[in-house]
Order: sequence, then structure tokens, then C-alpha cells
Amino acid sequence: MLNVEHIDVHYGDLQVLWGVSLEVKEGEIVALVGSNGAGKTTLIRTIAGLHKPSSGKITYNGNIMNNQSPHKVVTLGISMVPEGRRLFPKMTVLGNLEMGAFLRKARREKDQTLNWVYEIFPVLSERAQQIAGSLSGGEQQMLAIARALMAKNGFLLLDEISLGLSPLLVKIIFDVIVKINKTGISIFIVEQNVPMALKVADRAYILESGHIVAEDVAKKLLNSDHVREAYLGMSPI
Amino acid sequence: MGQTLVYGILNGALYGIIALGIALVFGVMRYLNLAHGSFIILGAYGSLFLFHLGIDPFASIPVLSIVLFVAGAILFKTSFSRLTTFSEGNKIKNSLLLSFGLMLLIENLATLIWTGDERSITPPYSGLTFGIFDLRIPFIGLAGGILALVLISFLHLFLTRTYFGKSIMAVSQDHEAASLMGINVNRTFLISFAISLTLASIPSVLIGLKAFSPTGGIQWFNKGIIVVMLSGIGNIYGVLPAGLFLGIIEAISVFIFGAPYREVTGLALFVLIMILYPTGLFGIRIES
Amino acid sequence: MRLKIIFCVLLIILFLTLFPLMVKSEYLLNLLIMFFLYVTIAQSWNLLGGVTGQISLGHSAFFGMGALITRLFWVEKVPILAALMGGGVSSMLLAGIVGIPCLRMRLAYFPIGTLALAIIAQIAVGNIFPLPGSLPSEYIVAYSISSRYYLALLVALLTISLVYGMTRSRTGLALVAIRDDEGAAEAMGVKTFKYKVLALLVSSLLAGLGGGIYAYHQVSYYYYTPFELSWSFLPTLTTFIGGLGTMVGPIVGSMCFLALSEIFAISLGEIHILIFGFTFILIVLFFPGGLMSITQRFHPFSLMRSKKKGVS
Repeated sequence: MLNVEHIDVHYGDLQVLWGVSLEVKEGEIVALVGSNGAGKTTLIRTIAGLHKPSSGKITYNGNIMNNQSPHKVVTLGISMVPEGRRLFPKMTVLGNLEMGAFLRKARREKDQTLNWVYEIFPVLSERAQQIAGSLSGGEQQMLAIARALMAKNGFLLLDEISLGLSPLLVKIIFDVIVKINKTGISIFIVEQNVPMALKVADRAYILESGHIVAEDVAKKLLNSDHVREAYLGMSPI
Repeated sequence: MGQTLVYGILNGALYGIIALGIALVFGVMRYLNLAHGSFIILGAYGSLFLFHLGIDPFASIPVLSIVLFVAGAILFKTSFSRLTTFSEGNKIKNSLLLSFGLMLLIENLATLIWTGDERSITPPYSGLTFGIFDLRIPFIGLAGGILALVLISFLHLFLTRTYFGKSIMAVSQDHEAASLMGINVNRTFLISFAISLTLASIPSVLIGLKAFSPTGGIQWFNKGIIVVMLSGIGNIYGVLPAGLFLGIIEAISVFIFGAPYREVTGLALFVLIMILYPTGLFGIRIES
Repeated sequence: MRLKIIFCVLLIILFLTLFPLMVKSEYLLNLLIMFFLYVTIAQSWNLLGGVTGQISLGHSAFFGMGALITRLFWVEKVPILAALMGGGVSSMLLAGIVGIPCLRMRLAYFPIGTLALAIIAQIAVGNIFPLPGSLPSEYIVAYSISSRYYLALLVALLTISLVYGMTRSRTGLALVAIRDDEGAAEAMGVKTFKYKVLALLVSSLLAGLGGGIYAYHQVSYYYYTPFELSWSFLPTLTTFIGGLGTMVGPIVGSMCFLALSEIFAISLGEIHILIFGFTFILIVLFFPGGLMSITQRFHPFSLMRSKKKGVS
């Protein structure tokens, strides 16, 4: 279980997150939505250890995370699919996947995990020897997710995975997310694609200008006036 | 002409190995270590010292490698590690400046300790050459060339077959993404830096067998950096061919214009290539 | 406040001008000539490195070129002022031919390119002119140290005022913008390449003039000596330690350097370089603003120092 308690995050002197609190229980899919610049990516990066909160606490399964370096966060059980995918551009698909299994525990099970990942994303198995930089956008996103899965962690952070993808691909990928979640992996997803995120999530939070302004069961938020007006461009029911 | 070419090729191999150490650090962490040449000179002094104890220079390579590895690790921990948080442009500039100061320190300490006299290690096989057709091939140069090939092969295997080696490649391509894989990036930087200094052990011995003085380091760095530029930043494999290229071009220019202008060739080549092929002869452009 | 500063500066200049009339010690005069040379080359370097952010590790090539050409002209009976101009211009030409491609290059190729230039120039000149050059006897007889002194002082003052003038002008704004964030400057419409070239050419011209003075001053010397890398290290070290990008930095740094080298002149090796080198490393790691940034709180002397961590 991930617990973010009242964190403030600064970039130098500029504060971007104020007293943010949220939790992700085991097996849940929790979404964080909000417009551009609200601070979503900052938040997820802070959870991943790429950024340190100036105050507050982050714990996962009893371990304190907010003072850990990013690689330690991975060893403690949280993997992230970063915004923009950040594949290793000169490595092959297989090479990227192997890097995903860098952790000792993951290395031992590498071959089994590879099979599982190829089942979920068959296209990756076809392109295993292809250089990552030459893949299409959708394939790259799949590879990025697959790579994170290779670490065999129980918690996945997804940062804007729908960016730059066609609606069909977005649907495919979100179906995969649900499938992965069914195997027991908890998921925290940051998204600009509000309807998709809220359809797939169990619970959701709304972040606006660095503050959490709403929290609820995802379906309820999807139908709320606030979300419909602010994020879906619809008139109130 | 053939003879000059032979020397050109052997020199080129030496340039290539020197460039390898520089290229590794630059590729992985975008640092430029101006003091790389000075460490080669220190290694030469080390080899000389061991030689006086009766150890053959080539046999001293393993010892030097270990010492240089440890020295590299300590050096990184105490100074270069502070620069890892800078932006890429600043990393390059500041590592240049830092290593610049370091080079001055090393050169002057070395002058204080060993005086500015030129030294040379002279084992019994110093002048040994082999004759093939009309050409005389110096034993030491040949050994250097073979060592260069062996070194590159080992490095290649290390970087592509071992998990740690592969993690070094990952870090060099995107160190933040690498950290998300559970790779300890700072430790990878440390070890890569130490390895780059270890790579200086072979040039140390080869140069020790030629001639060296405390202030000679920068000239070797110069050759190395020209080769790195020629082969293209981020490309470790292009370094040996680029080194050979430089060596051969230099040899040809000596043949045509005479010895005093040899260095100018290197510069002219450097400037020319930078104008025509800013990414280097074999290289891939790195994104700034 | 400004009036006070101007008054002090004028007083210093007056003092320096009258100095040879008051003091006859050749040692002191030579020392001051060296000081003026150090200041010239450091300030010229500062324009390129401190103000525009292009760190040149090869200024010795420009210094040496100026010295070489000036000497060659002068020994062939060209009047010294013309020879000096020749030296300065040749230095600019060298900067243009090699330096401009270096400026085009990405990332940190400029420092490396200039370093390569300096190393190669040193070796090449050493190979092409292996013998020391000396003066024809009439020149030796007519040798007057005070003319060297005044010329050196003049060039130093010229350098300082030119660099000051450029830095304070609209050009200076562009240069500093390039130093602080070249991308942003470019985006704002500043033709960064043009300004970098300008800074390079002026910087090399001044360094060449300094080299010319060196050649004028020396009776007999190896032509490759002013090409030696120590003339590259010197401006970099002294300006850094004195305060990168400030007007006073190169002057203060040069003073300290000269003082240290005189104090340690009798001892072995180059201890002053060790001290400077070590200080330099500390500054790169911890105080990017140099000594001046520490005194900054007490004296608002410095102009346009960089506040960012590390050299930007």
C-alpha cells in the first residue's frame, strides 16, 4: 500500500505541490487527473524518487520512500513507466527488456517474465531484435510498459501513457493495464486523458494547481459536474 | 613510405587506446578529463619504478591497472562526483576545468618529485624489430597494437555480455531511465570513471617505453581527444579506426611535408572534420 | 560612489605612469611589465571566457602568435608600433581560421579545440623555429626599459578599457546573455554566433598585442616560449580565482599570482602553480564566482558575475 502524506514539493524556490495526500491500496488502480501544469508529473516523479519532497512523507508497504534514491525505490517495489517512455534508444527491444530485469530478483526470473510480457504484447516478440529507437509510437509505449513489468514489482507508476497515441492504441493499452492489474499489481496512473483514466480506475484524485481538489470513486467523478465541465467540455447534467 | 606507414599505424593504435579511456568517461557521464594524459604519465613513472624493482614493463600492466582503478575511484568520489548534478553543458565545462586544475597539480607535483628530466624505460628488447618484406616492425609497437585489439575485444564483451556492462551502456544512453531500472547510477559513474583510468595503464607502459616527462601528459590527451572527436562522441568502437586514421594521415604528412609539421596535420584534420562532419567520422550526434 | 572609483583609478594610473621616473630598479620595472602582460592576457581571456562564457584553453596560441609576428617584423626594421599591430592582426587571423570552426561546434568543443590549437602551435613553432631569436646589436644598445614599460602599460590600459567598454555596451548585454543561456538568447533574436566571433576576435587581438609586447621586451628568447601552455593556464587560473566575468578579477588574480611566484621564486619547482591549481580546483567545485564573490558582500566592484552553480 502506497501512502503519500501531506507532501510539499519545490523546484528551487518555486513551490509546485501543496500538502498533497493520497493512497493506493493493494490491487487498486488509482488515477490522478488534472490539466497541464497542475503538477501531476512532478507528483509521480516524487513518488518514484526522482525528486525529494520538502516536507511530508511517502511510505510503501511500511518503508519510507521519500528520502530514497530512485534505484532504491525500485528495489523497494515500485516501478515507473516515465513520461515520454525514455527507452534506451540504441538498444534492441530485447536489450531494453533485459535492462528492465536488472534487479537481482528479476534477473532470476527473467526468462519466465519475458514469456509473460511477450504474451501480453506479441508485437514485441516479433520485433525483439529491432532497435528501440526505430519502433512506432505505440510499440514504444508497449515496450516501456513491458520493460517496467520485467522488474516484477507489485506496484506500477504510469506517467501519461496515452500521450501521442491514436484512440485505438490508447484503448488497447488501457485494456492491457486492466489485464496487468488483474494479476495483482497495484497501479497509480497519471493522465491527461480523463475519460479513459476514470473508466479504468477504481478511485481517482483531481489535482489542480498543485492541490488535490477532489477524491472519489472513479465512476462518480466521471459523472460529476465538475469533471464534466472542466475536463470533458460538457454541460452539467 | 611503407616504413612510415608502419609507424603511423602503430602510433594510431596507441592514440586509439588513449582515446578509449577519454571516450568512455565522456560517453557515460559527459565528463571530459583533461588530466587523463597526466595519469598516463603517472603510470609511466609507476612502471619505471617497478622496472627498477626488476618487473618487466608489460608485466607491470596488471599492477598499474589496479592502482589506477583505485585512484580513479578515489578521485571520482572526492571531486568529480560533485559535478553529476549539473546540466550537460555545464558538466562538460566544469569537468574540463576541474581536470584542468588537476592536471596542473599533477604535472607540478611530478616535476617537484621527479624533476623535469625526460625518462625512458629501457628493457633489453627496446630496440627489437621484426623484418617483414622490406619493413622493420618494432616489437614494442607491435605488442602495443596487439594489446589494443585485445583490449577493445575485452571491453566489447564486457559491455555487451555482462549485466553490469550493459547497465553502463544504459546509463550512457539515459541515466535517469537507467535509475528507474534499479541501476545505481552514481555507482555506475564511479566504476566507469575508475575503468577509464584503468584503461590508461596500457598507454602508460607504451609511452614509458618511449620517452616521458612530467609535462608530457597534455600532448597525449590532445591526441586522444582529436581521435575521440574524429570517431564521434558516444561511439566507443569508432575510436580504434579513428586512431589508426590519425596515425596514418600523420605518417603521410611527415612523408610529404617533413617531420616538423606533423602536429599541424592533426590540427588541420581536426578542424577540417569538424567543419565537414560535425558528428565525427563514425559517430552519432549526441543530443544536447 | 562612482566619482570615488574614477578618482582612485586615475590616481593609480598616474602613479603607474610616474613610477619609472621615481624608481630606477630594473627588477621592479620588469616585474611591473610582467604584471601588465598578465593583466592584458587575463583580461582579454576574460572577455571571451568570463563575459561570453566561451572558455578558451588555448590563449597561449594567440599570445604566442602576436609575439612571433611582432618579433619577426620588428627585427626586420619595421617600427615597433606597426609590428605590434601586425602581431595583433595575425593573432586575430589565427583565431578566425581555427577559432571560428571551433565556435560552431556543439557543446564543449570550443575549449578542446583551442587547447588542441595551443598544444599543436607550441610543438609546431618549437619544431619550425628551434633556435632562440636574438636582437641585432643596434637594438640591444638602444634598449630602453622605460619605453617597454610605457608600451606595456598602454596595452594593458587599452585592454582593460576596451573590455570594460564592450561589456558595458549593448554588445556586452548580448555577450552576457549568451553566457547565461545561449538557447534563450538565440530565441530572443540575438545573433549568438556573430557575437561569439566578435568576442573571439577582440580577445585574440588583445592577447596578440600582449604577445607583441612580450616579444618587444625580451632580448633573446626561444620563439616557442610565448606559445607555452603556461600562458594558457595563466589567464584561466588568474581570472577564475580573481573572479570570472568581473573587471577587477583578472587584475586581482594576476597580482596574487605574481606575488606568489615572486615569494616562491627561490624554492623548488612551481609551488605557486600548485597553490593556484589547488585553489582553482576548490573554486570550480565550491565557489564559481571566484574570490570576488566572497568579497562581493563588502565591495560592489564586480560587474556581471554569474550567480549560477558551476560555470554556466
